[in-house]
Amino acid sequence: MKVEIVTKRAGEEAVVEYEYRMRTEDEKPMVLDVLLQAQATVMPDLAFRYGCRARNCGVCTVDINGRPRIACRARIKDGDRVSAMATLPVLSDLVVRRDGVARQLRGRLSTAGQANDLNIEAPEDYHMLTACIECYACLHECPMHARNLEEAWPLKRPPEEQAGPTAGYAHGNPFSLLKLQRLRIDPLTPDAGVEAALDNAVALGLDTCIDCKGCKCGIGIDLMGKVVRPLLDSVNDRADAST
Amino acid sequence: MPINVEWMQYDVVVVGSGGAGSHAAHAAAEAGARVLMVSKDPIGCSDTKISEGIATVRGSGADDDTEETLSENLRLAGGDLPVSAITDAFAADSKEAYDTYRRQGLRPDIDTERQAPKSLPLPMGGHTRRRSVGHRNSGVAFGHANWNTVVQSEQIDYLEDAWFLDLVTEETPFRVAGGLIYHAALGRLIAVKAPSVVIASGGLSTLYFPKTDTMRGNTGDSYAIAARAGVELVDMEQVQFLPFCLASPPSYEGLLVGEPVTASYLGVLRDKNGKVILDGVFLRTRAECSSAIMRAVEDGRGTPNGGAYLDMTANKRRPRSGPYFMKFLASALPSAYKLARQAMSKAAADCEEPWEVRPSAHYMMGGIRADAYGAAVGGDGDGSTSSGLPGLFAAGQAMGGVFGANRLGSTSLTEGAVFGRRAGEAAAARARKTSIDKTTTEAVFSPFIRETRSRFGQKGEVAAAALKLTLQKAAWSNIGPVRTSERIAEMEKILSSLESQLDQVSIPDCADWNQAFIEFEELRNLLMSARAVCSASREREGSLGGHVRLDGKQISAFSQPYSTVVSCNSAGGWQVRRVDRDRTPIRQILAFKIQDAKRKAAVKWLRVLPKGMQDRALEKKYLEIMGNDGVIERVMPGGDDAAIGEATRL
Ligand SMILES: Cc1cc2nc3c(=O)[nH]c(=O)nc-3n(C[C@H](O)[C@H](O)[C@H](O)COP(=O)(O)OP(=O)(O)OC[C@H]3O[C@@H](n4cnc5c(N)ncnc54)[C@H](O)[C@@H]3O)c2cc1C
Ligand code: SF4
Ligand code: SF4
Ligand code: FES
Repeated sequence: MKVEIVTKRAGEEAVVEYEYRMRTEDEKPMVLDVLLQAQATVMPDLAFRYGCRARNCGVCTVDINGRPRIACRARIKDGDRVSAMATLPVLSDLVVRRDGVARQLRGRLSTAGQANDLNIEAPEDYHMLTACIECYACLHECPMHARNLEEAWPLKRPPEEQAGPTAGYAHGNPFSLLKLQRLRIDPLTPDAGVEAALDNAVALGLDTCIDCKGCKCGIGIDLMGKVVRPLLDSVNDRADAST
Repeated sequence: MPINVEWMQYDVVVVGSGGAGSHAAHAAAEAGARVLMVSKDPIGCSDTKISEGIATVRGSGADDDTEETLSENLRLAGGDLPVSAITDAFAADSKEAYDTYRRQGLRPDIDTERQAPKSLPLPMGGHTRRRSVGHRNSGVAFGHANWNTVVQSEQIDYLEDAWFLDLVTEETPFRVAGGLIYHAALGRLIAVKAPSVVIASGGLSTLYFPKTDTMRGNTGDSYAIAARAGVELVDMEQVQFLPFCLASPPSYEGLLVGEPVTASYLGVLRDKNGKVILDGVFLRTRAECSSAIMRAVEDGRGTPNGGAYLDMTANKRRPRSGPYFMKFLASALPSAYKLARQAMSKAAADCEEPWEVRPSAHYMMGGIRADAYGAAVGGDGDGSTSSGLPGLFAAGQAMGGVFGANRLGSTSLTEGAVFGRRAGEAAAARARKTSIDKTTTEAVFSPFIRETRSRFGQKGEVAAAALKLTLQKAAWSNIGPVRTSERIAEMEKILSSLESQLDQVSIPDCADWNQAFIEFEELRNLLMSARAVCSASREREGSLGGHVRLDGKQISAFSQPYSTVVSCNSAGGWQVRRVDRDRTPIRQILAFKIQDAKRKAAVKWLRVLPKGMQDRALEKKYLEIMGNDGVIERVMPGGDDAAIGEATRL
């Protein structure tokens, strides 16, 4: 089976055609199998991320023919092209810099107060959102996130400058909205925290969602129904209440 | 151009962003320290995140679950190898440490009557009380909590895509001065000065890849970094293997599909010819199952992919109890069963055909020798910090002395929170008292910087990735689930040959995300960890817990327990010695054993009944465990090992 692997070193892109050797006659390999075999044989320096091989850790996402796929659990076909996720800056080969997404939430995730009674159950939706493995597949075609790339977010800032929230992306994405919505429906978040989470969603560009065709989650979380719409509804409710 | 070096200074540096690292960083920051967390994987990505998500919370399911009961349970299960001050600390802190997870958003189901997190319905994984709490979304729920802790806190600076390479120490007095980091995303070295460093960088199971169910980053960094700084490691022969993992298809190799308990009443292990090699599988320990499989393989009777057949078809075939068995299998370990369905044929998933299984490396029960605050210790007995490395702390899988020869089920997530917190607080306290001298410290960093810089642009014909594959193959056959003195010696020979090739590894001269350099560093750490496993395994000539010697006897529970302690001198030579442990009074051990024998006898008769009677008896049994709704809540992945008094429960 022939697979194209797009590599990138020092800003230079190259397409390597890799011939995958089937390990059993009827093997239906995953994308990750191809990368592991390539690294073990002719491309020892091939850079890619992986961890659990079981769709739990969320770090192995790559683009297959231009769409994000979780490499350890996505089958690959003859002629497929594997490249780094197009939504984040490439560090080397298939490795992208993920840091800017997380850092935008710094200081925005106020946690439950110490005085709260911890023995309270969370609603079903809370657990649905907790299923997120942080694979960033949902960044694909998100117009809110795309604004960051237009603004050329600095790829290399010295670490001491990265401490503040400003070193994260200015504009949000479905994952960040999910994190904020999760905080809002946590029964232990105090009222002020629920409001602050909504403010943060707005600050990250929630208005972009109004005219958007919507986002899709790589593992099947109902992002529109459980994250985007509830956030938009809350903004509306707030506006109604203040008029 | 040599790679740039940037200088930093912090009170506490934490290596790793799993459960142990996150709790350490949080605790140190709460205590007022300026904290730098360094993680080679993205923040929160760790074994903690991919675990089954079952945690031990003392008292969650039983009123008589005292600290003494839990501490003794840990020690007896661990063959008296665990340090009692450490198991006492675990028992004392488990509730409070778990609550720090809840403050960061972990939301268990609540037992409203007890006003406590709801524990699973049976005491399991070798526990003597009900105290295992399961969570929806398994480890991912813990991952979110850890991520939030680190990302949110303004007192914690963090670096991801950053490899902590080495501890830097001062000689007089001997103490931690900081460490050297390769920040792959920024393409530079970072020399960080700090009076305290907490190592929470996980285990070494990648030594056995792909025969492991853990994260790729488990390259033994914790042990190698400590050993290179002259710190002692304890119980390093004790690698925990899970018996029932997949041998094929290749994409699923190594992943967990079952535990002894899920084989249920009629599950047996067979060799390639269909001959039974182990019956009553559900009553066996993990180590018993693993060694039965590996002995068959040794004997040329292994299955095509080097394992055995786990045959559960008899459970399925009984007309009345069969359907209950299938429900039990699917709900006891849901994620494992889901994997089995994805990976195997429909007939196999429905238990109409046997499963091909093979053991996988899961957890290093030994580790950095430490006290109950994670501070590195040396010397005799339980050790003292004055003969350890002042300023070095360990937590989580990196730390030894907690589990000895067997880890009870669901204890590791709790371990990370308990000892992460303790180490973080102790590290902050030390930083308050210790100042780092500006002028002397830069000098002690120089040799490390020089050595590391010289690796960038190293010329050679060998690829680290290729050497790693050779190492992994050899580790499986020589220091894997079964060992002999000859194989350990063979392994040491292979290690020497691989070590001698390190200087021939080709590494391009590029500062940004240098994958070859990363592979090189991880290979170096895997090699050191393998040395530690070899030295300890050589010293323990009989079988105990996770260490199975084909050429030695089972070590008796009544003999004087001892731990192995290994260390590496500056010339690269390894020493090994024994330190004695206290033995639990014989009366208590006997009580434990009698209880165990009784339990086994109580179900043995089931297997000899006529089929019809057996079927009805089994139906009754399943109903007892599963309760009215016919669904058992999850059983912790195993945890029952070859230590004394331990066996699987059903
Ligand atoms: C499939 C599976 C299921 C499990 N189920 C359970 C369960 O249900 N209950 C239970 O109690 N235990 C379970 N365990 C065990 C448990 O998950 C782990 O033992 C525990 O999470 C280890 O935590 P830790 O913080 O010590 O290490 P980890 O969580 O593995 O974290 C290690 C961290 O160190 C970082 N790191 C490593 N080396 C370096 C370096 N050189 N520089 C910088 N960073 C580095 C890694 O990136 C990672 O962030 C399971 C394990 C597995 C694999
Ligand atoms: S709905 Fe909002 S978050 Fe989703 S893709 Fe559109 S802009 Fe992005
Ligand atoms: S919301 Fe879905 S697609 Fe987005 S990061 Fe989470 S799991 Fe991935
Ligand atoms: S390797 Fe963990 S999700 Fe793919």
